[in-house]
Amino acid sequence: MPVNIIVCVKQILDPEIPSRDFRVDAEQREAVRGAANLVTNIFCENALETALQLKEKSGGKITVISYGADSTEDALRKALAMKADAAIHILNDGQAHPDPLSVAQVLAAAIRKLGEFDVVMLGRESGDWGVGQTAGLLAEELGVAAVAFVDKVEIGADGLQLKRQTDVGYERVAATMPLVISITNDEHNVPRIPKTRDVMMSFRQPLTKWTLEDLGVNAAEVRAGNHYYAVVDLFIPVQELNCEFVDGDTLEARVEKFAQRIIEVTGSM
Amino acid sequence: MMNPELATREVFWNIPHSLVWVMYLMFVASMAVAAYGIYRRVQIWRRGLSAKRFDRPLERLKLLLKHSAAQQRTVREKYAAIFHTFIYTGFIVLALATTVVAIEYDLGLPVMQGRFYLYFQSFIVDVFGVLVLIGVGIALYRRAIVKPRKLVYTDEATLILTAIFLMALTGFLVEGWRIGATDEVWGKWSPFGYLLAQASAAMLSRNAMRAAHFGAWWTHAVLVFGFIAWSPFTKMAHVVFAPLNIYTASLRPTGAALKNLDIEKAMESGAPLGVKSLAQFTWKDLADFDACTECGRCTGVCPAHTVGKELSPRDIILDLQKFMHANPRAAFGLPNGNSSNGNSANGGDQAASRKPQAASEALPIIGALAATSPAALWQCTTCGACMEACPVFIEQMPKIVDMRRFLVMEEADFPDTMADAVTSMETRGHPFKGTQSTRVDWTEGLQVQTMAEAKDAEVLFWVGCGGALIERNQKTVRATAQLLHKAGVKFAILGREEKCTGDPARRIGNEFLFEMLAKENTEKLNHYGVKKIITSCPHCFNTFRNEYPQYGGEYEVFHHSEYLAKLVDEGRLAPLEKNDKKITFHDPCYLGRHNGVFDAPRQLVQIAARNAPIEMAQSRENGFCCGGGGGMSFIDEPKDQRVNQERARQILATGADIVAVGCPFCTTMLEDGINARKGDRDVRVMDVAELLWQAVQDSTTNGANKN
Ligand code: SF4
Ligand code: SF4
Repeated sequence: MPVNIIVCVKQILDPEIPSRDFRVDAEQREAVRGAANLVTNIFCENALETALQLKEKSGGKITVISYGADSTEDALRKALAMKADAAIHILNDGQAHPDPLSVAQVLAAAIRKLGEFDVVMLGRESGDWGVGQTAGLLAEELGVAAVAFVDKVEIGADGLQLKRQTDVGYERVAATMPLVISITNDEHNVPRIPKTRDVMMSFRQPLTKWTLEDLGVNAAEVRAGNHYYAVVDLFIPVQELNCEFVDGDTLEARVEKFAQRIIEVTGSM
Repeated sequence: MMNPELATREVFWNIPHSLVWVMYLMFVASMAVAAYGIYRRVQIWRRGLSAKRFDRPLERLKLLLKHSAAQQRTVREKYAAIFHTFIYTGFIVLALATTVVAIEYDLGLPVMQGRFYLYFQSFIVDVFGVLVLIGVGIALYRRAIVKPRKLVYTDEATLILTAIFLMALTGFLVEGWRIGATDEVWGKWSPFGYLLAQASAAMLSRNAMRAAHFGAWWTHAVLVFGFIAWSPFTKMAHVVFAPLNIYTASLRPTGAALKNLDIEKAMESGAPLGVKSLAQFTWKDLADFDACTECGRCTGVCPAHTVGKELSPRDIILDLQKFMHANPRAAFGLPNGNSSNGNSANGGDQAASRKPQAASEALPIIGALAATSPAALWQCTTCGACMEACPVFIEQMPKIVDMRRFLVMEEADFPDTMADAVTSMETRGHPFKGTQSTRVDWTEGLQVQTMAEAKDAEVLFWVGCGGALIERNQKTVRATAQLLHKAGVKFAILGREEKCTGDPARRIGNEFLFEMLAKENTEKLNHYGVKKIITSCPHCFNTFRNEYPQYGGEYEVFHHSEYLAKLVDEGRLAPLEKNDKKITFHDPCYLGRHNGVFDAPRQLVQIAARNAPIEMAQSRENGFCCGGGGGMSFIDEPKDQRVNQERARQILATGADIVAVGCPFCTTMLEDGINARKGDRDVRVMDVAELLWQAVQDSTTNGANKN
């Protein structure tokens, strides 16, 4: 049964840069790019990998969508190199802090414009802001069900068999399509390295570009952003290292004192 | 006493004229078979891609003299030095003797006469005949008793030695019985033949000797002609192919051994990127397979093989050779037409007219043969020891990289940790994913300018990823920069603009990424008008020197050891206090063997130390890899098969307190290896720049104290 899959990806600042190179602009409340590169968010790559594996078994089609600045094209080309079938770039032409709701609205509009779909896969959260709400909001916008923290997707009897991680273990979910799932990482969905030939081919493949106007969303409202979501403050936490020895005559006394200090310092219990 | 000027002997004595033609017939037949054997192989080579290997004939002749005639590489090994020289020189002398006979008899020119007959044709030939026997004896002893692991033990090899032994032996019998039967007056000039004659005379009558001579003569003839006919089908083919292979060897340093790959062209034509089948090798690669003498030196020196891994360069060559001859057409994607040479007259056109599709249908080689398993291919450190050891100049390592190219670029099939390094090079311009250092951390507190800031830099200090981003090596590049400052050298760095030269990408097999990095880097360097470069890393050094020129990057390149040695020579750095520790020096493959820089780093050790550096058994050209080249430092080797620990063992065996190095990869690999093995000994790894900086500093402090 061929599955029509849509994968949404996001380009973020390379999270692997040395921490001492990382700066934030407290005023603008955003990270300073500096010398850092832009990469595809790792959970989005896990989602694409999951989609690719599903398609290998079921057949079908993978369309990758991203809402972002011009540079987002690189992330989409990489997705094509990994063997996604089509890529759509929705140009973000100036929304400074895309919030989860407006992003979900934009993505939903694009997906509606595409027409039919069976499943939309997103990363569980992005490596820059880590809000993790887009998948849920997108399902809401599209009016379909959502399953979060999925690490395995298989074809089931009449839909998909999903395995999702929970705080205490995992759950198996039988889901009917269409639906939205958010993907978390697992040893089985480590993103593949594209073949060089495919990387080169990706530059020759067409890439659909849409503007907000093309989608029929209220562009002005989207650009204004900050729907129910505001970054109030942005700072790099200062790490302080203090070394303190507890003393006491007996082991019991020292352990007692040690526990006491932990409670005092962490302010817990 | 008879007049020695008249000395000679009768050719074809005891062989009736009516039978001489049989010998000629055998001669012609054996030559024809041998020629076919050679032709058949050459015909297959022509299915390979082109390679320019007939330019600069003078240099090639020199190489031929050094390595084919004088066999400088063959004699590096003690057994081969004796037995191969005996057999090889014996063959030449005996072949010359036969030529003399032919000139005398067939051309009717009286040359086999007089003193020449006595000195050469009798005495020298006799002695060299014995040398062949001794040589074969040693070779057989080595195969049967010593049994070195690196040899291949085939029946063919034993049969060849036996055949040579019998040829030489029957030769002596023929000579001895002729002397005995004719009571030849000049017999004593052939001392061993004469001894044989004397010994036989005690048992045999003259007539019996005459009859025995007749039998021995024909046996000898059959053996010799049979051997000639059979040789081109065995490893004896090296008699012809070794000189040819040496003549067509690469004239560039082994650091420049990797082939250029026209990626665009391959994309257009649909040909595989890298080597998937024999069809993507050049004719020279194919000739390499046939030239192999099975001596096993390459595998014997291979660091991966030494620590017990499956990689064996010899078996890669031999397996591919067998595969090529087992599938002379299918291996190249040619339809299995009649396998006789019906259409070989236009064999040359086959390669030219072969459709790329056909080439991609050629039988794949990676993983198809035991020696070319991906696992083995991912064990090569590209140290080049195999190439350096090969007496016939076979290029094993580039073929390994050719196959890696296919795995990486067409299959994306390579070890995860290597893939991480490649991805990091792609996105961050360095292979060290997750490093907490930046390109300029090491400059803290030093006045180091970047090219963008400096107006009058005379030389660029190319720090390299290994120098800047691995904390341990920051001490080395710091020391280098401080030494340059002290000597008043006006230098600058690229700082955050620097990107990996692409060496690991290229050796892992991602030629596409290498090309991108090469273009980007050369563009930047040319933009700044860089003329001179000092590199801290021998891998960068090699890339600048041997690989960037084709991307328009022509610079005068120095490894820091060379540049610092020059500064000391010029008196711009004056070390006074000498380190009194025992120091040995470990040659980085890409500085030493691949580029021939052996002395500059040693000179620095000598300058900085009180004692002369201790030389390890495996040093200079024969240096043993630290295990970090070819992308291998991005691989977690099995605990009991670590190349760095083997090298650490060799280093510790010297009793040195310090091992001096000149490469950031060697530094960390050896530090790990030594720490794992040193027990409670205090052994340190220090870059030659660190040693020199220490010596220079001490001299200034001491100088200050004296005032
Ligand atoms: S280059 Fe070094 S590691 Fe690779 S096969 Fe040759 S000797 Fe072995
Ligand atoms: S490749 Fe060279 S060194 Fe290796 S076995 Fe063959 S002849 Fe010897």
